Amino acid sequence: MPPEVRRGIVIFSCLVTLVAVIWAARMDYVPPAHFSLQNGTDPKTLDPHRATGQPESKIIFELFEGLLRMLPEGSPDPKTGLQPLTPQPGMATSYEVSEDGKTYTFHLRDGLVWTDGTPLTAHDFAWSWQRMLHPATACEYGYLISEVVLADEYHHSIVKVGDRVEVELWDRPGESSGSDANIQHFPRGTMKYGTLRAIIKPDQIVLPDSASDDARESAELDWQESWVYQIDVAPSDGSGNVDWDGPTTPEEFSVSAQVARDDSIQRTHGVMVDFQHFGGAQAVDDQTFVVRLNNAVPYFLNLVAYYPLFPVNRNCIETHGAPLWTKAENIVTNGPYMLQFRRLRDRIRVAKNPDYHNVDSVGMETIDFISLESQNTALNMYETGQIQWAYDLPTSVLEELKDRPDFHSAPKLSIYFYKLNHDVPPLDDIRVRQALSMAINRRQIVEEVSKGGQQPAYSVVPPGIAGYDNADGLHEDVARAKELLAEAGYPGGRGFPKISLLYNTSETHRPIAEVIQQQLQNNLNIKIELKNMEWGSFTETVQMEKYEMARYGWVGDYPDPNTFLDMWVTDNPQSNTNWSNLEYDGLIKAASTELDSTKRMQLLRQAETILANELPVIPIYFYTSAEMAKTNIEGFAPSAQDLHPLQILRYRSETPKE
Amino acid sequence: MNTEANRETLERILVESRNIHGVSLWQDAWNRLRRNPAAMISLTCLVLLAVLAILTPLLPLQSPIDKDLNERRFLPPNLGTVVMGGRPGLKFADGTLTGELDRFNAEIADLAIQLQSTSDPQQRQALAAGIAARIDIEHPFNQMWNELGPVSWWMCQTRVALFGNYAIPSLFGTDKLGRDLLARVFWGARVSLIVGIVATLVSLIIGVSWGAIAGYFGGMIDAAMMRIVDMLYSIPFIFVVIFLVTFLGEDSVKKKLDSIGIDQITIFYMVIGAIYWLTMSRVVRGQVLSLRSEQFIESARTVGASPMRIVFRHLVPNVLGVVIVYLTLTIPSVMLFEAFLSFLGLGVSPPDVSWGLLLNDGVEALSIIKVFWWVVVFPGGALAATLFALNFLGDGIRDALDPRMKNRD
Amino acid sequence: MRDLLGYLLKRAAWMVLTLWAVYTVSFVLMRSVPGNPFSGERSVPPAIERQLKARYNLDAPPLQQYWDYLVGVVTRLDLGWSTRLEDYSVNQVIAEGFPVSATLAIFALVFAILLGVTAGIISAVYRRSTADHVLMFAAVLGIAIPNFVLASLAILLFVFMIQIFPAGGWGTLQQIALPAFCLGLPVAAYIARLSRTGMLEMLTKDHVRTAYAKGLPKRTVILRHVVPGAMLPVVSYLGPAVARVLTGSLVLEKIFALPGMGSHFINAATQRDYTLAMGMVLTYTVLLFVMNTLVDLTYAIIDPRVKLR
Repeated sequence: MPPEVRRGIVIFSCLVTLVAVIWAARMDYVPPAHFSLQNGTDPKTLDPHRATGQPESKIIFELFEGLLRMLPEGSPDPKTGLQPLTPQPGMATSYEVSEDGKTYTFHLRDGLVWTDGTPLTAHDFAWSWQRMLHPATACEYGYLISEVVLADEYHHSIVKVGDRVEVELWDRPGESSGSDANIQHFPRGTMKYGTLRAIIKPDQIVLPDSASDDARESAELDWQESWVYQIDVAPSDGSGNVDWDGPTTPEEFSVSAQVARDDSIQRTHGVMVDFQHFGGAQAVDDQTFVVRLNNAVPYFLNLVAYYPLFPVNRNCIETHGAPLWTKAENIVTNGPYMLQFRRLRDRIRVAKNPDYHNVDSVGMETIDFISLESQNTALNMYETGQIQWAYDLPTSVLEELKDRPDFHSAPKLSIYFYKLNHDVPPLDDIRVRQALSMAINRRQIVEEVSKGGQQPAYSVVPPGIAGYDNADGLHEDVARAKELLAEAGYPGGRGFPKISLLYNTSETHRPIAEVIQQQLQNNLNIKIELKNMEWGSFTETVQMEKYEMARYGWVGDYPDPNTFLDMWVTDNPQSNTNWSNLEYDGLIKAASTELDSTKRMQLLRQAETILANELPVIPIYFYTSAEMAKTNIEGFAPSAQDLHPLQILRYRSETPKE
Repeated sequence: MNTEANRETLERILVESRNIHGVSLWQDAWNRLRRNPAAMISLTCLVLLAVLAILTPLLPLQSPIDKDLNERRFLPPNLGTVVMGGRPGLKFADGTLTGELDRFNAEIADLAIQLQSTSDPQQRQALAAGIAARIDIEHPFNQMWNELGPVSWWMCQTRVALFGNYAIPSLFGTDKLGRDLLARVFWGARVSLIVGIVATLVSLIIGVSWGAIAGYFGGMIDAAMMRIVDMLYSIPFIFVVIFLVTFLGEDSVKKKLDSIGIDQITIFYMVIGAIYWLTMSRVVRGQVLSLRSEQFIESARTVGASPMRIVFRHLVPNVLGVVIVYLTLTIPSVMLFEAFLSFLGLGVSPPDVSWGLLLNDGVEALSIIKVFWWVVVFPGGALAATLFALNFLGDGIRDALDPRMKNRD
Repeated sequence: MRDLLGYLLKRAAWMVLTLWAVYTVSFVLMRSVPGNPFSGERSVPPAIERQLKARYNLDAPPLQQYWDYLVGVVTRLDLGWSTRLEDYSVNQVIAEGFPVSATLAIFALVFAILLGVTAGIISAVYRRSTADHVLMFAAVLGIAIPNFVLASLAILLFVFMIQIFPAGGWGTLQQIALPAFCLGLPVAAYIARLSRTGMLEMLTKDHVRTAYAKGLPKRTVILRHVVPGAMLPVVSYLGPAVARVLTGSLVLEKIFALPGMGSHFINAATQRDYTLAMGMVLTYTVLLFVMNTLVDLTYAIIDPRVKLR
């Protein structure tokens, strides 16, 4: 290569570098929002029916609004600083509850509109609730409204002969009877309604004993798909009006493509109870929404104000499809704020919704939900004024922060505990579990490690639930713990196998696990091996019950002891401890149907006492919130469920004159 | 006769030539290295560090794992006396390690006497097993140190015999759980140094052979070998390591490995070593490429030296300067990589300790509200000083090995 | 010119081969790690899990999955939907994250090269002067301190004590400065050392002595005859430097809360986001391959002894 060319290429590469730098230096500058807050991990989704975590819920509460909305009522508790929040009118102006507590009638406001300008009616709620319950939506909160008539059957696709059912034919857009499913379950295929006459089930294939669990599960599902449903189909027009008294035609349906190859059998996506016409969530007219329950649910209004029951826009979802409808350019919402843009792992910007019914009460013009995982970074950004509210603070400086006026701390309705796997030998012995629990010095953990003012927990229901008297558990008692361990056959810890303690990777969990490791070593000579895993693998390992001891936390979904107790009944998918106690199951069941509030609370208390004595989980502490919010913000107060309605926040100087 | 004389002459010449050989390259280099003060100081420091790291259990340090939450959290560096086993939470007899040891040994001795007096073989066996289990489980050392190997165990015993309950005060302060940082830095050095050395050795062996062979043979061999390196280069290895960490952490895999006596950590660091050879091989190849047309290689070839001999005898020593520079960059890289993994929560798991883990803890404690400077300065200083020394030593060795430097200074 | 074209074609073929190998290896590794992407906090009923798996084609036999995804990538450049970030396809994630990472990397690299080469030349030319000692000390320091420690110290210093930079976030040049500095500094330190070594090596070469003997001014000799040769090790280091910057950005993106690809990379791998993880690996592979090819080209251009092959 001649030298000139070589020199040319050197110059060329310098030019390229220059261009690259200029390209890199063009920044799409975004002016900071009116109000910015730390929002933890980047939200997974903005779909109210798909979201589960805290970061998602904070945003969804602002973008959408349900019939009711949790808003502050009265002034904060002087002792704890907790601001009581109650369900207050949102999309509904008023509601009535029937005598037996089983029927709720909600009256919607006049003139409600979505952000695309279309009117919002009770039908939107009926449709949204149906979408939430539809199995293909895979909403993880479906169980919350299992007491709504037919909701549980619909959610779990349970049908019985004689039920009035809906049948969705295999003709969603882009489907032919032999094709794969279109995963967009809205808009639905052609709907037929009728009465289920019979289900013809072929013989189940018997698998050899050597078959794996996966193979078994798969065979079971295949078998279920091959069922043929015989239905007397009632005449209906295209828009879902059914003439139930009209002449019926018997037809046959099946999910399996093989079975449906026969012309007389139509392929369907599934046969489910007709929730749309007979379920407990019905729009009587545009302004009236009626909910019917199987049993009274004392906390039902709280549920109505919870985001999975918020309405979503049918037209938007049917046009754009499931994940795409939440894109900033597509999404249609109805809350105090509307989505402006979303930058992955950076921020979600929302702006005041001018069409919101109570737009005057909305304080901040724009809000940034900043995705921030590192505690130190959040604190740094708070201190430099880049965010105005930080909720996850580094523990090493909590003591210094505590005395500042912008620090807020209050008990939360949530608990930190260790799950024990009862399938692993020494842990199936109640004496061992009690010994482990009694050898842990919780006070030391909350005072010297977590340091956020947490309360030591000896049982699972956090204090502060109105009308509930907490059960007391086994307190620390090293001498008794040693005795118990000896009784169980491990005097002085001899012969006790090494057990592992699993926690998800976090700056908070490791020191606690390390201290518990030391306490058990010191007090009982029991060796604990620490294992950490990233959240995804962690939950998987726990769910597959491949752990011995595992850290866990639980935040109450609603302010009632039941949310902390019902997951420990036998075979609950969220228990994962293999613990089973029939008396406990009975008490929880009795409580769920008990109408008298006092009696119900007593039943729950009895259940909790069993739990605190049997210790399928070792409670460690009840969380408290530790948050920093700038002092010039008005309306900020901690609440037990860790809910913070953002539309009531405003800067002090900007308070409208009254 | 004539042939006999010839042979004698030949032998004489051979002997002479052997004697003429004189100062070897390495001897020469060593002489020159000795005249380089920075390198010699670094070498001394590194040797000292290695010795101290090996002998850590012997030193009168505090326990690296005992957490004194009530009184000793975040103590700045101080000279306050610390008694081994003095923390009330340990409930040691007399509040000392030796007191507890005496008590424990007395108990064991009682059992031993019982063992002597029993004659029933079955009972004897049970008793003996009981004693072994008690030593294994209840020995006070378990409270002070984590999972000592036999050698470390012996060293700890010697340490207690020598120094009793004396422990060096917390000269480096304590961390957020009240553990002595000085002890942790020393125990951490063991892990960090082993990681650095093992991984680098692996990378050295693979990298140099690969690069030299590819560079010397050139042509198809070179192309194929270097394309393989290119391929590996383009793989984001951090991914592989993350996968391996999760995969090897799986219980079934772990048990299988344990049964063949392979530590999960060992494999893990071998993997790091196997990743770091790429640069080494490229650099060596580059050097060899420009060296192989030099005259001394030509002459070696003309006298009929085998290719392997040329590569390892003539080429490798000549690229050694650059190799050593890279070596001094690789050990730090590996040690930093360990720190990086600890930052992501994928490094060693407590109660084991490494410098990376200490630094990660230190950084967590570094915030604007309050700066616990000692938590980051001492582990950071230890790491930086080690890497510093490695760098200076590397520079020194390079200068010393460079024949062109022979008649300078 | 023809060998250049031939060379590039050959490299492209190698890249395809590499990508295929990387794809295969990542596929096998990801499937061999326990766990699936739908392990949420609450259990999902089996029928629904089946639907979800069908949605992401995880119900097909592994070989079929392997093939289907490969076809999607090759024919449509479609990396599929992320299983964790539901609202995003992998292509969108990369499209959003890439400019951020690229910007950061470009600034860090340019900064590192400028600083490193300058420092290297100065300390070689003024060997054994105070400047040499100070620069080399600084260079060793740059190598010896992990970048997360460096970043934390830099935040204390530049954000709180001197208050010239914001603590984190993305959007202005000010916000890039600090992370780019922390990312570039260790690389600059390496480059400084390498270029110093190279310079010293070149200064003893015959042609340099000849140039001096001819009476050329020192400046000319150094810029014309020493620096180009001395840059060889630096150029060959640029490939690893890119890799290093990309790896380092994982840490810095975390500390400075930057929305780049690095944080996706870690999360995708550890959360079993198969599709995103795969997309990230392939993207990084292409990136590294292209950079390495460029580096080799440059190497061949600067050093006439090396032939492209």
